[in-house]
Parts: sequence; C-alpha cells; structure tokens
Amino acid sequence: MNDDFVPAHPQDPGLDPAQDAGSHADAILKVEDVSKIYRSGDTEVHAVSSATMAVDQGEFVALLGPSGSGKTTLISMIGGLLSPTTGSITLAGTDVAALSKRELTAFRAERVGFVFQAANLVPFLTARENLLYVSTLQKRISRKEAHARADQLLEELGLAARAKNVPEQLSGGERQRVAIGRALMNDPDLILVDEPTAALDTKLGRQVVELLAREIKQRGKTGIMVTHDLRMVEYTDRVFEILDGHLTHVEQPSALAH
Amino acid sequence: MMLALNEIRRGRGRFASIIAALSLIVFLVLTLAALADGLFFGATGAVRSTNATAYAFSPDAKGSLIRSSMTPEQVREVSSDPGVATASGVGVLLTAGTAPSGEYDVAVFGVQPDGAGVPTTLTDGRLPQPGENGTAAIDQELAYEGVAIGDSITVGTQSAEVVGVVRDSSYQLQPTVWTSLDTWRAMRNEVRPEFTGVTDDVNAVAIITDSGVTAEQVQSEVGDLTVLSAEATGLAIPGVEQQSSTLNSIIYTALAVAALVVALFFALVVLEKRELFAALKALGTSTRKLGAGVVLQAIIASAIGVVIGALASRGLGAIVPDEVPTLFRTETLITISIFTLVAGVVGAAFSLRRIARIDPATAIGGTL
Repeated sequence: MNDDFVPAHPQDPGLDPAQDAGSHADAILKVEDVSKIYRSGDTEVHAVSSATMAVDQGEFVALLGPSGSGKTTLISMIGGLLSPTTGSITLAGTDVAALSKRELTAFRAERVGFVFQAANLVPFLTARENLLYVSTLQKRISRKEAHARADQLLEELGLAARAKNVPEQLSGGERQRVAIGRALMNDPDLILVDEPTAALDTKLGRQVVELLAREIKQRGKTGIMVTHDLRMVEYTDRVFEILDGHLTHVEQPSALAH
Repeated sequence: MMLALNEIRRGRGRFASIIAALSLIVFLVLTLAALADGLFFGATGAVRSTNATAYAFSPDAKGSLIRSSMTPEQVREVSSDPGVATASGVGVLLTAGTAPSGEYDVAVFGVQPDGAGVPTTLTDGRLPQPGENGTAAIDQELAYEGVAIGDSITVGTQSAEVVGVVRDSSYQLQPTVWTSLDTWRAMRNEVRPEFTGVTDDVNAVAIITDSGVTAEQVQSEVGDLTVLSAEATGLAIPGVEQQSSTLNSIIYTALAVAALVVALFFALVVLEKRELFAALKALGTSTRKLGAGVVLQAIIASAIGVVIGALASRGLGAIVPDEVPTLFRTETLITISIFTLVAGVVGAAFSLRRIARIDPATAIGGTL
C-alpha cells in the first residue's frame, strides 16, 4: 500500500452504496460498512474504507480497480481469507467475520469457489484429480457423487479428453478451465475470480470469462470477478469500482474511463 | 494423502534424490553396525556363549581374564558364597596352535566340563568330558579353516584331539579351543616357562548364580575380588567398549545427518511450494493436512531408503572377505530402521512451522 493514498471520507462519485445495498434486501452476499486498516508504525493505511455492497443469487458482478486500489483486500475479506477491521460480511446467512480460523478453512472449502490469477492447479495431479482433491475437503458431497460431478464438469468445460493430463500438459486456457471446474466442484454459494485473464491473451481471456459467466448463470451461482480489464465487464451483470479503498457501484461499465 | 502420494508417484525424479541420499546413509549405518556387531561378537563370544552368568577376577585384574590370576582356595571361596550355584576356574591362553591344515592364532580356554564357563553352542561332536584330558572342542572359525574332528591341535609339545565344534565363541577375534584345565595348564606352561611348576592356578572364576541373583549381589559377598556379569565381562575385554562407542557415535552421527538431509530437503520443497500451499490453504486445506502430507512423504522416503540401504549393505556383506568381522543381525536392522524413520519424521517436522506460516491470503492478488 502506498503511503500517499488518502484515507479520507470522500464524496462518492457514483450511487450511494447504502442505498444500493438497500435495493437488494434478499441478497445472498451482504458486505456492510467493511473497512480494513493496516497499521505500520504510526501510520494507518485504510486498504478498504467503509465498503458496502450486496450481490443477489445468480448475479455475476465485476470489481474493477487499478492495482493497489484495495480490490484484492476486499475480495480476500469476502472469501474468508482476511478478517475485516470493522463491518460485517454475510454469505447466505453466515457471518463470515465471526468465524474462527478453523471454521474459515471449512467455510472456504464448502462455501466459496476460488479461481486464481495463474490457475494454481496442483502440478502433480491430473485435471480430474485436481477437481476431486477439493471434494476431499468438504463433507456435503459423497465420494461417489464427487466422481460423477468431476466427470460431468470436465465434460461441460470441454476437458473430457484432457481429464488424465497433468497441468504441465495443458494449455493456459485449459488450465484456467480446470480451475473453473475446481471452483464449481463443491457447489459453493459464491465464486470469487481473481484476474482470470492475467496469464492469458485477449482472445483466450474472453473465452474463459465467457465460459465462467455462462457456468455461473446456468447454475444460478453468484460470482465476483476482480479485474482491471474493462473489456471483461461486458460479461457481468453489474460493476463495482474501487479506488483508493473506496467502493462505488457504477451504473454503466462503459462510462468508466480509466 | 492424495497429494502426498501422487506427488511422489509423479515426481519420482525429485524424490529419487532424497531416497538416494537416505539409502546411502542407511547403507553406511548398517555396514558400520555390522562391523560393530562383528567386532563385538567376535571379541566376546567366549564369555557370552557359555553357561556362566558372571565371572570373578583377582583384585588387580580390572576385569580382564588374561590379567587375572587366582588360586584354588579363591575358587572354593567363591563357590561357597551365597547366591552362587556353581563356580569353577577358567584358564585362558592366547597362543599359536598347529593342526594338520596349518598354524592358527587361537585362544585356549581351560574349563571344568561339569562346571561353569562351559560353551553352550555345540554344533557338532561333543565337549570334553569331566576328567578327560587331551581333548578339545574348537570354534567354528577353525572348522571353516579346515580343522576337523579327529585332528589334533598342538601347542608346543602338548596336543589335544578335536572332538567337537562350537559356534560364536571367539575371544578377542581369535577362534577358541576348549579343553580341560589340566590340558590348558600344560600348554600354558610350555609357552610361558615362568609358570613352570605351577600346577593348580586359574585365571578367573566362572560363576552360575542362583536365579534372580545379580553379579552386584555376588560382588558384595566376595570381598576384594571383582565380580562382573557375563555381559560386563565382555565389555571389559580391552578395546571392546572403546570400539563399540566409537562405531556407535559414528552411527548416531550418520542418523543425525539423515535427519538433517530430510529437514533440508523438505525445507526446500516447502519453500518451492509456498504459492501452491497458499492456494491449497485458500481452497480450504488445513495446515494439519498439509503437514501430515509432508510427514507421510518423509516416512515413505525413509522407508524406501531403509530397504535399498539394507539390501546394498547385505550385498556388500556377501562379498566382503572373511577376515573382516561383519555380522548382520535382524535386531540391529530393526533398530536402525526405526531410528531412520524417526530421523525422517524429525527432519520433516522442521518444515511444519514453515507450512503453518504460509498465509492463504497471499494466494489472491498475485504478482502477475
């Protein structure tokens, strides 16, 4: 975090987030007045300041922001990887901030699907085993169901022929598709996608995001995608923008002029 | 489990290095242990493989059979002590003996056939009978060298006919010849003229204690004599304890090196997999599970190392010349296998803190 960024209470340029949250009373994900403050010596760094957002089930939203804007911190808090300094995060009735470290581990395994920047597949497991591995971390889906589910997901993602290949033998796009399958494997409530196109060229990146959007829609899942790539927002329903730790809801993605 | 096993299966090259290192260490340790056991057993057979449970020595002998010298009165005194079931004199002579097949360095033991200190490891023929002079049982080593039952072994002008073979009975790495006290004394007086005219001395007293009586308890009865258990008598043989402790300290050092090698290997592996471990933690893998995987891998690598090292060591044992006293014992193999596995687990345990410190939050917002 830069020391020179402004931890003030600026006027929101977009819609009032509180009002925005109000219009999503049944939202599956509620982020209410969440802040993350890092202290280094005497300086307080407000990575995220009073962020409020609500996302409905079945929605796929984008979180736009340049590097250092706080988007990584926000999505990490939503995914149970970081605890907020203040505020509350509720996913399908669970108060994420109230969970212990151990409970957070189980929460991430069962309730959240992650798609990382660089796929981050287990290099010594095949595509199919990468999917099956995450199923061993939860108790909701039986072993037998998990096998059937992995095969079905690989089929849907066009990876049936690559099921027995290890990541090294897959292309970048294929790897990211396996990562999508892995995120869907445990039937999570929320899918968090971190810059999925960072390691891909534009064409492949589009394909991957398109596929992601389709899978999330078809399954009625909820997704948040962090990106700094404006071209990817066309696949999402709504766009939030974060700048210097301040979150705003943007009506028209095309209005963004970064 | 799934991660740990598949990583070894699909990453054989990487694990081959740690397995090779562990195999070499186990090979070294087992070979040294075989040498240590060979030296120990070769030096102490004559006091381990008999019916005696303790030995009594003259006060100035410091527990050495050869240095000790005792009179018949002292032998009788010991036998009348409470807690002593049987006590009889033992004579020892390190010399050269001639048989039809050649000349050998031997240790001649004079014992009382119906007394204490008599070998219990007869493999062929018979032992000299009570009252019988001029006969002997020989150590298996001499039989391997070509001395046979019916041959005679000659020291100076004194001969004894070989009537039996015993095993595991060598003394200070020399094969033994077991004969009567009179025959032993006759041989000794030929080789050591200063004893001419001495007709009733012995070196030490072999004791069979009453059951439940220890050498220490006998010691408290015999006054100024030194009483040692049979085991302690073996260790008191000059050089035996020093040899054992030298070789054992090399063995323990090598095992410590094994732990260090495993520790370094897994430290590197964990360092290299920081990103992956962070992602796996983000996906909901517990630190405990990741740690258990590393420990499991260490156990597997150590176990494979033990198998390869043991086979290589036995292979070397098969081609090593007979003059090198090696002995491969199952007990030693089991002990060293357990120690190696423990060393592996201890080594891997050093990585657990590192794994615990990996922050799952670093999986998001990578540097790309």
